[in-house]
Amino acid sequence: MAAEAKPLPGSVVRGAEEEDLRAEHLMLDPRPREEMNQMVMEAMTKTTPAFWIAISVLGLVVLVCLFGVWIYQALTGMGVAGVRRPVFWGIYIATFVFWIGISHAGTFVSAILRVFKAEFRRPFTRAAELMTTFGLAAGALYPLIHLGRVWVFYWMVPYPNSRWLWPNFRSALVWDFLAITTYLISSTIYLYLPLIPDLAMARDHSTGLRQRIYRILALGWRGTEAEWFRLRTAITIFAFAIIPVMFSVHTIVSWDFAVGVVAMWHSTIFGPYFIIGAILSGVSAVVMILFVLRATMLHMKYFLRPEVFDSLGKLVLIFSMAWTYFFINDYLLTYYGGDAAERQVLLEHATGPGAWVWYLMLICNIVIPWLTLWNRRIRRTPWMMFIITTLINVGMFAERYTIIPMTLGHQRIPFDWGTYVPRWPEISIVLGTFALFMFLYLAMTRLIPMVPVWEVQEGHMAHQLRKVGQTEIPSITELE
Amino acid sequence: MANGTVRLALFREDQLNQAAEAITRLHEMGIEDEDISVISGMALSERILGRPMSWSHVPLIAIAGAVAGFLIAFFLVFGTQYLYPIRVGAMPNTPVPTSLVVLFEITMLGMLVSTLLGVIAEMLTPSYGPAGYDPRISHGHIGVLYTSPTNLDNQVRSRLSELGAVIVERPEVKKLWP
Amino acid sequence: MAQMEPAPKWGMVIDLDLCTGCQACVTACAMENNNHFVGEEEVGYGRALYWLRTLRYWDGEYPQVKPNFQLSLCQQCGNAPCEPVCPVFASAHSEEQQVNLMVYNRCIGTRYCANNCPYLARVFNFYDYDIPEPLNNYLNPNVTVRRRGVMEKCTFCIHRIQAAEQKANQENREVGGDEVITACAQACPTDAITFGRLDDPNSRVSQAARSERGFAWMEDLGTFPRVVYLKGVGYNGS
Repeated sequence: MAAEAKPLPGSVVRGAEEEDLRAEHLMLDPRPREEMNQMVMEAMTKTTPAFWIAISVLGLVVLVCLFGVWIYQALTGMGVAGVRRPVFWGIYIATFVFWIGISHAGTFVSAILRVFKAEFRRPFTRAAELMTTFGLAAGALYPLIHLGRVWVFYWMVPYPNSRWLWPNFRSALVWDFLAITTYLISSTIYLYLPLIPDLAMARDHSTGLRQRIYRILALGWRGTEAEWFRLRTAITIFAFAIIPVMFSVHTIVSWDFAVGVVAMWHSTIFGPYFIIGAILSGVSAVVMILFVLRATMLHMKYFLRPEVFDSLGKLVLIFSMAWTYFFINDYLLTYYGGDAAERQVLLEHATGPGAWVWYLMLICNIVIPWLTLWNRRIRRTPWMMFIITTLINVGMFAERYTIIPMTLGHQRIPFDWGTYVPRWPEISIVLGTFALFMFLYLAMTRLIPMVPVWEVQEGHMAHQLRKVGQTEIPSITELE
Repeated sequence: MANGTVRLALFREDQLNQAAEAITRLHEMGIEDEDISVISGMALSERILGRPMSWSHVPLIAIAGAVAGFLIAFFLVFGTQYLYPIRVGAMPNTPVPTSLVVLFEITMLGMLVSTLLGVIAEMLTPSYGPAGYDPRISHGHIGVLYTSPTNLDNQVRSRLSELGAVIVERPEVKKLWP
Repeated sequence: MAQMEPAPKWGMVIDLDLCTGCQACVTACAMENNNHFVGEEEVGYGRALYWLRTLRYWDGEYPQVKPNFQLSLCQQCGNAPCEPVCPVFASAHSEEQQVNLMVYNRCIGTRYCANNCPYLARVFNFYDYDIPEPLNNYLNPNVTVRRRGVMEKCTFCIHRIQAAEQKANQENREVGGDEVITACAQACPTDAITFGRLDDPNSRVSQAARSERGFAWMEDLGTFPRVVYLKGVGYNGS
């Protein structure tokens, strides 16, 4: 499409200055809706051989490394994993917390940034929300994977039965189950609602099986005022309601540990500590995904510009500082006058044979972001942000690994201290869930439009250049 | 509801002012607000086009869902332990602090699921008025769907075309779902 | 069903000054409760299915080294931290015997209870363990044989307690304070372990529990354990 870019509304800026503004800000670079629709549809429907190879390999890895090994583990027993007395929870639970943490980013971007009317969120809310849904899908497998008798997992579900037995609602694991179910359902719905107008657009411009599926999912959307009103009402309800759900979910996951009498777990700071860590690793994962989308999908360079990486980089730096604050709150107080058992655990973390994990966590979560994310040029370079955020996620995984197996191995009875070593089935299943996430995400990028075009167009309409004194500055109007 | 001719006037996305003007002209020619419907590919506030505000039952459905969720949670936490008590150490049978978690989660679940069901119900139940649509709307066009008395049809069409509208003769779609 | 009389409070006293670390109690418990033998490699990795263990610490410098034994088993806590955390009520509190129940049929294997026990008293069946012929002849018919994926722990030989209670019921009397003896107490050559009703002030166990050498293990955690350890000055003044 060689359509002309639309003129910047209300502006007298011309020439090179206009070019700069257009290149920099998506919101100041409006294109006709038809062209944007075309770009998004093309990005969705065009596939390369590399895509098919990638998705086949990932699918194979999921089948073999995740489900195959899981079935082997269920048939043989948990002994094939590395768990032992006293470390009864190992890398499965660490990865579980990791995935639930990653899933917080989607809600952060699409709900919190929407509530605060941060305009730069517009092109990637759907990409982030997809991350939430699939991060939860991957994470929700783990409470099943680590069960000794996974075939009776449904006893955790509250349903009337002839044994007159209900689950124990005083147990943090039941809270976990309810919270994750709530969050998974809510975030799927929150992914679906803003998707309806884009599905209607896709319905109008596709054929065959795709068209039939979009027809059903679009619920007959036409775009009347009543439809828009009820959609916006529903989205507003969701945006405000899913924020407390998001906070409660990771708090409840942290309470799996904090309600125990385990030394170093029974800490009141776990709730906020885990939430901040979740948002840190989640926003980092959003940056990673946006880099991959930009590099591999058509036309994404129009929607995802360096300004997005710049803003997200600032967020990552802020959350890294917040994480450090909570980290110090937890560990400094253990060091200074803490319980003898807890101080032993801290000593073991920092100086024991597994101390390299602790230092990896500190370097990746504190040193690397604090040294690099100050620099605007680094923040605006997508591949650099990809490397930095990958390292941050490695650091966050190391944090979960420190908190779970390494603390459990060093409790109050010195005779019973033990080291946990992950075994091949655990590593295989962990890699399998990473592959599952990537597989589902890759499949979805070709099934639904990845950019909420109506929201981007809304943003275009809201931005204009306003003459103030001798210059023109971008101003944002409230359209609602 | 007048029995008349149903037409859809399409304006391009940069003709927003003309669309607003068109609605004024329709009012001048005696076509009521309830016979006019604005269909667009992007949310346009009713105030921009001089239209009456819309309404929806979704907030009410959301609150009803929250109440239902709360009642279910209340039964699960307190009711089941009252009916079939099992003692676990260090805790009474129905402690309030631990119940807060379950109450909150299931209330929120009830609210959010019922919001979705409300949206689906409102979208799938039949609505009054002609169901007009054109695929160009999802490409950004603003559609003004109106029902005019048949004798005024040509007059209305010419007045709207002056503003640059493209008039679609038969905009009603039989079924957009499923 | 709760009885009309107040429930008996079963408890144990372990005299650490008498314990020689011979592990006869460990063996007797394994025989009585059909504990699986997991093999040398698994025991080395920490997956042994011992319901009670001797924790052996070394005191002093060579050549004046002496071992220091403590018997570790499920304390049947009044405020058991393992109970509220089980999502399916597999770890519940018995109103009748006032001990902590482990319900094998209900356990789904989350292992939360094991993490939360400060005494690390709980063990987990990591595999289905083989009991080849003719070893299956030693199995105690009063105790379930557990399969993979369930937790287990010391039950204060609850099958013996129940047998005694049924007998007492038939004879229309209460269970005596010294009537039940656990397998470990039965096997101990020095009589270091005493078991019985703590709420009967005349039973041997109550009298032993009142000794001034008595202490409860990690009682500052608020678990109200039912096991009283006796440890005095020790034979070399430690």
